[in-house]
Amino acid sequence: MTTVASAATGVPATGIPAAAWHHRHLIDLDVVTWPEIELIMRTTEEMKHVLARPIRKVPALNGRRVTTLFYEASTRTRVSFETAARNLSADVVSVSTATSSVTKGESLVDTIRTLEALGAEILVLRHSVSGAPYLAAEIFGGHVLNGGDGWHAHPTQALLDLYTMREHIPGGDLHGRKVAIVGDILHSRVARSNIWSLTAAGADLWLCGPATLLRGMDRWAGAWAGGAIPGHGRFNVTSDIDAALRDADVVMGLRIQRERMSSGLLPSLREYSARFQLNAERMSLAKPDAIVMHPGPMNEGVEIAPDVATSGRSVITDQVTNGVAVRMALLYLLAGSHDAAYEPAHEGAR
Amino acid sequence: MTTQGGALGLTEGGASGPSRPAGASAGPGIGDTVERFELEKAWLVDPVSGREGPGEIVVTDGVLESVVWLEGEEAKGVSDKGVIVAPGFFDLHAHFREPGFEDAETVATGAAAAAHGGYTSVALMPNTQPALDEPGVLARIRSAAAASGSPVEVLAFGAVSAGRAGEQLSAMGELADGGVLGYSDDGSPVKSAKLMRSAMLYAGMLGLPIVEHAEDLELTAGAEAHEGYVASVLGLAGWPAAGEVQAVSRDIAILTDALLDEPRARLHLTHVSTAEALELVRRAKARGLPVTCDVTPHHLAFTDEWIAGSRRWAWEALDTDGRPRDPAGRSRDPWADGALTATPYNTSLRVNPPLRTAADAAACLAALIDGTADAVATDHAPHTAVDKEVEFGRASNGISGIETALGVLLALVDAGKLPLARAIAALTTGPAGVVAAAGRTSATSAARPRGLTEGAPADLVVFDRSDRWRVASESLLSKGKNSPLLGRDIPGRVLLTIAAGRLAYEDPSACEE
Amino acid sequence: MTDRQIMTGDEIRRAIVRISHEIVEKQAGTQGLAIVGIQRRGVPLATRIAGAIEEHEGVRLPVGALDITFYRDDLSLVAQQPIVKGTDLPFDLNGATIVLVDDVLYTGRTIRAAMDALIDFGRPRAIRLAVLIDRGHRELPIRADHVGKNVPTSREEIVQVHVAEIDGLDEVSIARRLRAPETAPAAD
Repeated sequence: MTTVASAATGVPATGIPAAAWHHRHLIDLDVVTWPEIELIMRTTEEMKHVLARPIRKVPALNGRRVTTLFYEASTRTRVSFETAARNLSADVVSVSTATSSVTKGESLVDTIRTLEALGAEILVLRHSVSGAPYLAAEIFGGHVLNGGDGWHAHPTQALLDLYTMREHIPGGDLHGRKVAIVGDILHSRVARSNIWSLTAAGADLWLCGPATLLRGMDRWAGAWAGGAIPGHGRFNVTSDIDAALRDADVVMGLRIQRERMSSGLLPSLREYSARFQLNAERMSLAKPDAIVMHPGPMNEGVEIAPDVATSGRSVITDQVTNGVAVRMALLYLLAGSHDAAYEPAHEGAR
Repeated sequence: MTTQGGALGLTEGGASGPSRPAGASAGPGIGDTVERFELEKAWLVDPVSGREGPGEIVVTDGVLESVVWLEGEEAKGVSDKGVIVAPGFFDLHAHFREPGFEDAETVATGAAAAAHGGYTSVALMPNTQPALDEPGVLARIRSAAAASGSPVEVLAFGAVSAGRAGEQLSAMGELADGGVLGYSDDGSPVKSAKLMRSAMLYAGMLGLPIVEHAEDLELTAGAEAHEGYVASVLGLAGWPAAGEVQAVSRDIAILTDALLDEPRARLHLTHVSTAEALELVRRAKARGLPVTCDVTPHHLAFTDEWIAGSRRWAWEALDTDGRPRDPAGRSRDPWADGALTATPYNTSLRVNPPLRTAADAAACLAALIDGTADAVATDHAPHTAVDKEVEFGRASNGISGIETALGVLLALVDAGKLPLARAIAALTTGPAGVVAAAGRTSATSAARPRGLTEGAPADLVVFDRSDRWRVASESLLSKGKNSPLLGRDIPGRVLLTIAAGRLAYEDPSACEE
Repeated sequence: MTDRQIMTGDEIRRAIVRISHEIVEKQAGTQGLAIVGIQRRGVPLATRIAGAIEEHEGVRLPVGALDITFYRDDLSLVAQQPIVKGTDLPFDLNGATIVLVDDVLYTGRTIRAAMDALIDFGRPRAIRLAVLIDRGHRELPIRADHVGKNVPTSREEIVQVHVAEIDGLDEVSIARRLRAPETAPAAD
């Protein structure tokens, strides 16, 4: 069986970092320090052990109510959160907009107030508009866990991506390791959250896609190039797929949506595949043992070739397993936090 | 009788002394003629004569009876840091939402808010429901103003196009006869270049300007925040600078052509927000084109950083050379230097045009100082909580700003970025100059020179620069509480506003027993 | 805060030897026994007990470590003590007689959590409890089968157990809290 230290966390039991958990909500990784990320990784490791037991449950959140409120249809992510909550013995309530009064025009604020009156303690929110979880955090008395907001952030995804990378990189250390994220970066909350986490991990991060889908990212990379943000290094933005993939240790594909064509951002999906698809030939530019990742759901044949998605280097299914463990870790840490983050000091402080 | 910084005494009726019967709510009410008001040892600013300094004023029966400039010994101890008297301000651009959106504001509440902000004249935009595209709607607004009892002068721009739909010209001639100051489709640009050209010719014929909200709707479709570093990190759809620059460029080109046929054609660009667009206006003026523009207080003082949670003034994000760097040479990244003190995505920051970078704000200030920008206009845009307590991308655009404009300009003055006289001029003679119609004498009193003129009806504001007030739901008179300054103390408490000789606003704490 | 030593290194050693004999005596042998230490300091104590049993019985019993973090009944402690130290049970619990080992028995809540955790791993035949210090103030009906030393304490006091494997020395001392706790912390 397992021992208390592991490659995935890189932290032996006796060298436990002193971090405590202070965040009442988890909305974006911009406010999470590296020691806190290490704590999340450590807790995820333990949650994975729980998942490996015959009884895959612990009573840590017994009697607590976790409510998922999904404004965007996403079965896989919602089920992942709900599984995580149930594995912690929490009571789970699912609200998805297709079946609720939200379609009748009820505002986000009213919906959350109603759910709170119905006993919601931890709210997992997925929304199509950037920034929605901050509005939720303003009015909700419990904890908000962001399941993805607009183009802005998807912290649990970036954390499970990080965990998965560390599992597969020798030594569990991403310093100097090249990570390439390829696809529709502009509209990707997964990419944005990974920028925060991977630059904190010291990885050599490359974002790659067609110029129309990279708009604005160069400004961000440029702002950080001089080392402006302590704890976060620079990253690269390019539309040169060969440069991005060359000698990469990790290659992550992002989904390309059909509607990008009709909004004038791409000539056709065929052209995208021809120039940017992660296929066997392009993957030979990366390191021989480089891993292949994708947040899902995949458009096989568009951004990623089917044989690459199912190859031995693909860790996409690990991402799914790790996703449940990471979400268990975060639900556990949030439920146990007593922090005053985002409490306005005075009217209108937000 | 008052002393510098002391309480004011305002009297009405027969009593001419400073004291008032105790217990009674004595003194004039809002809308009453001010029978007698005296102010000693205050700092007077007269942008018409260009004079400012220690002085005393007396108002009798609604007329500014005497303006005395003090010299030598008498002037001692009076500085421009205490109580200041200026002509009443004129807002070139405000939305009072009536008719059609009275939940957000009415003419009555808007006028009260205006007076609280020191404004004695306000020009309303026509994006009401129905739009102000024919004289009947103008009449409704005028009667609402009269019924409110406020003496604040309520003026209006007529719509350029019928229903603001951008297809046919509105009843421009009839609106001119009704006394509009000009025409605008604000809320929107004049969508069709062809219609804009016709509008410029027709309005020029009538001697009135076109006031354009310059926006290229195709470039800005779906946009949420200024396209830049902050929007990239926050995952907000970008509003490119080109969206404004392109539209300004179009309008100047159309104006140039239109002048060949109608030399009285005039263009005023409202709420210009980008450095490049201001440069286009600068060059157009240098070529002698009849173009004017205004900038808003929020584009002078707030930046897109605020959406990320920063609350530092625009000029605090820049170093003296105007580039966004701190003395150590690192760039003033809001995520890096602890500037983020508030929750991000505050919807009171969602505005059209969007809040731009610190460099753009600095360009707005430079334009105000060198005269490229003729005026400060508030674009006061009150919204209900229902429209603003939503996700950022779904919130209505607009900042409730008419009550805080003075405070924002005084913050600039306090920081040494703007001379006090220029700030006052931007609120008075600047806007008056914009509406001084080419040859149209009946364009109301709006174009009258706004100064401290003996013998003219009293139209002035008295404020205490040394005092600060807390911007809060309770302290704002507008129905629109959508101000990014909520919870903050800003400089310059307005003590008294007199419009056309009648009391428009009096600070509750300024009453003397 | 003045510390008062209540057990020296030698006293601890003797107590461990005595407990190890008691365990074998109660079981009438070593058959079916497994020693499980509760994180954190129960773990080296469990190892020492198993070592003492090996010395006098010649049998190496299975030793495990149990982290009860996810089984606590007070989630608000997560903020102060979020680090999970890990569970390692390298043997089959079914039918085994588990001797749980902890450094201090106080309210009993830790032991309750430990029993819940063990039962999620399998169905032991019996669970017994060995502690180095029993300081009283039980809030649940839990008692230890084997006790190193009974030490009456007040709620204002803290019992500090130091073991060489973690703290570099063997000692038990009592110190006074700076302020009285509102509830007994579960970690004691």
